[in-house]
Amino acid sequence: MRRIASVLGGFALVVSMLGIAAADGYPSKTITLICPYSAGGGGDTATRIVAKLAGDLMGVQINVENKTGGGATIGIGATAKAKADGYTLSFISTSPITIRPHMMDAPYHPLEDLSYVGQIVSSNQPLIVRADSEWKTLADVIAYAKANPGKLRWSTSVQRGGPHVAVEAMFGKEGVTATYVPFRGGSKVLAALLGGTIDLAMISEGNKATLDGQTRILAEGTPGRNPVNPDAPTLTEAGYPIAPAIFFGFAGPANLPGEVLAKWDEVLPKVVASPEFQKLAEQRKWSLKHAGSAEFTKIVTMDYEAAKKTIAEIGMK
Amino acid sequence: MDTIIEGIGLALTWQSLLAVVLGVVAGQILGAIPGLTASMAVALLIPYSFYFDPWVGIPMLLGMFKGSLFGSSVTAILIRTPGTPAASATVLDGYPLARAGKGAKAIKMALYASVFGDTFSDVCLIFFASILALVALKFGPAEYTLLILLALGSLGMLSSRPVWKGLVATLIGVMIGIIGLDPITASERLTFGNPELEEGIGLIPMLIGFLAVSEVFRQMGGSNRELSSKATRYSGKREDNRVSWPEFRGCIPVLFRSSAIGTAIGAMPGLGSTVAAFIAYGEARRTSRKPEEFGKGALEGVAAPEAANNAVSGANLIPLLAFGIPGDIAAALILGALMVQGVNVGPLAFSQNPLPIYAIYAALILANLINLAIGLGMLHVARFAFSVPRRLLLASVLAIAAAGSFALRGSLFDVQLVFVFGVAGYLMMRHGFPPVPLLIGFILMPLLEENLRTVLLLAPTYDEHILFIFRRPAFLALLAIMGSAIGFVLWRRRRSRPAGRTGA
Repeated sequence: MRRIASVLGGFALVVSMLGIAAADGYPSKTITLICPYSAGGGGDTATRIVAKLAGDLMGVQINVENKTGGGATIGIGATAKAKADGYTLSFISTSPITIRPHMMDAPYHPLEDLSYVGQIVSSNQPLIVRADSEWKTLADVIAYAKANPGKLRWSTSVQRGGPHVAVEAMFGKEGVTATYVPFRGGSKVLAALLGGTIDLAMISEGNKATLDGQTRILAEGTPGRNPVNPDAPTLTEAGYPIAPAIFFGFAGPANLPGEVLAKWDEVLPKVVASPEFQKLAEQRKWSLKHAGSAEFTKIVTMDYEAAKKTIAEIGMK
Repeated sequence: MDTIIEGIGLALTWQSLLAVVLGVVAGQILGAIPGLTASMAVALLIPYSFYFDPWVGIPMLLGMFKGSLFGSSVTAILIRTPGTPAASATVLDGYPLARAGKGAKAIKMALYASVFGDTFSDVCLIFFASILALVALKFGPAEYTLLILLALGSLGMLSSRPVWKGLVATLIGVMIGIIGLDPITASERLTFGNPELEEGIGLIPMLIGFLAVSEVFRQMGGSNRELSSKATRYSGKREDNRVSWPEFRGCIPVLFRSSAIGTAIGAMPGLGSTVAAFIAYGEARRTSRKPEEFGKGALEGVAAPEAANNAVSGANLIPLLAFGIPGDIAAALILGALMVQGVNVGPLAFSQNPLPIYAIYAALILANLINLAIGLGMLHVARFAFSVPRRLLLASVLAIAAAGSFALRGSLFDVQLVFVFGVAGYLMMRHGFPPVPLLIGFILMPLLEENLRTVLLLAPTYDEHILFIFRRPAFLALLAIMGSAIGFVLWRRRRSRPAGRTGA
């Protein structure tokens, strides 16, 4: 029944699109959405669901193309070089936009070669310890690190990603040293934390693990408070240099036509508000946060500059 | 008890039965095509999963993953092209069997071994998930290092004569494996500033290039008469096309051992099914009464890696169900699908709502049975498909190799790599350098490096420095098991010598 309804709905949309095609040209053909992450990850799932829902709303087909490698910079680089007509866009997340370009030669300049189409999700990055850990607050962690230089073992899901920089900045401000132990991805970090190989982690998986009673949240690494433990302060509230927004969003080549941006500003809020997307976000503990093109550009620019300053200060490479 | 029956009932409707059948068929076909994986197909289906009943979608996923592992071994055996990396060890004895006209026997053995491995690990999952997961969590970088050393030890015996050629091949594999980001410092190594190389060389281009494309080049050098003949010949003798009961019985110890290896490795997040397949192969060879037959078409050499890689796929659900930690990409996708449907998995699931877990158990066992039935049917399709004249098959393998390597991550660079590796593999083959040490160097050495260096990174954070490894119970237990295994081998050798028997 639902299927029939959606087919009819799609048909109606196509018809109405055809009717206004002369007045409103975009989109009139298939859009390619590049996903710089491999099939099956969180970014890929978000991209595919947006492709389906936004495609239905706009009455065109949106194809997802996985173009991975170079810490997501290859796919985004390909988008930056595409024709700025709105038919090639890319899924983006924090690290390849605001963090990694400060430490490597990315094939694009985030503020010059890209237009920001919109943000759809902001995810939490809780700072967690095992549920049976003796550390109850952030101050306990810092006290331990001060008393035992270099002996605190910790990790994040991506080396040199936003959370890594944020926690390094915190340690830098306190003047303590700790040992970062790299693992490939958040689930391996969680396994290492639960198994006792490390004692502290900042991973998005921490929300579910805390709800499951396995871990405890001491702080939140992104701008807003964590819904699982609203008592835990954010890193900036606790007086540390940065708590970068960890976002999912979309971008295209620089100088996208205003018509394209206006269309996505109209469609993305509807996608984010749809019951399908709400359900997915609730299960993955993503906070839904739509920011339109103008606001998203502002967020990216601000975080880019803040990360640039912090990374230079703590000397991360 | 009622919940168990209700849970099983969820997974035993005609809709879910149909879904498993569809999943297994799709999985077997996708698995056979290198570069296309079950994970990719599942990712494509996720946006539509909202419109499915969970007990249609999830059984389909499980069927797809199980089917793809068997599908990939069909092409590994018949045309030396592992559809997924997990089947690369199957090539070692499967392809020689196929060339001897015993392809159907090898595929049947692979199917029985796959279903055996699946069922073994599913039973372990159902009855011992929480205990296994608890033990597996105690395995950290120190234990992984020891396990990989053990694997290298038992696989070291695979290197053929002369030894130096095997060594050179291993080193080439290691060199290719070094390309990419340093596992600890994340600085670039041997990338020459090329961002395409930053994440390293993919296993799929390696396998397709060195195994499949190099073999195509070799066969292209054959006479015209050879090229016009059928691509795979099947012996006319009945016993060459089936696995007899004595043959199967002979493989039972290998099947149990390999399934146990696969289950143990699957329960630990971090090693994966390709590694498990090679370890099981090495163990089967080490414990075999006729190790000299391995690599030339030993049936045990097909049974071991197939049982192990399938056992991994079931066991990957162990940390998922016990801790909510997905062991691999397949488990991560299943977790995603469950979450979309509002089903919680993890430590609290058994007390909160165990119903879906029982349904998953039922779906797993069901998928095994259907995989067996459809696999037997698929065998005939495969026999037919690969009976085309050789020259046609060779051309299609090249086309599929190019398309498959592109599909994986949309990179033309990978397609170029496949052909470069194809030429390199051909030259190595011509000059007697074995491909297996190369793959082992490529797959295992980076893992060894990563884990060993993590141990060294951890050492200064402990008061006893590097000796902290001896405070880890799992490390000591593993050391004791390995010590007694080596001791047993030495003892057996010593005992067999005075008796005048020739030891293996």
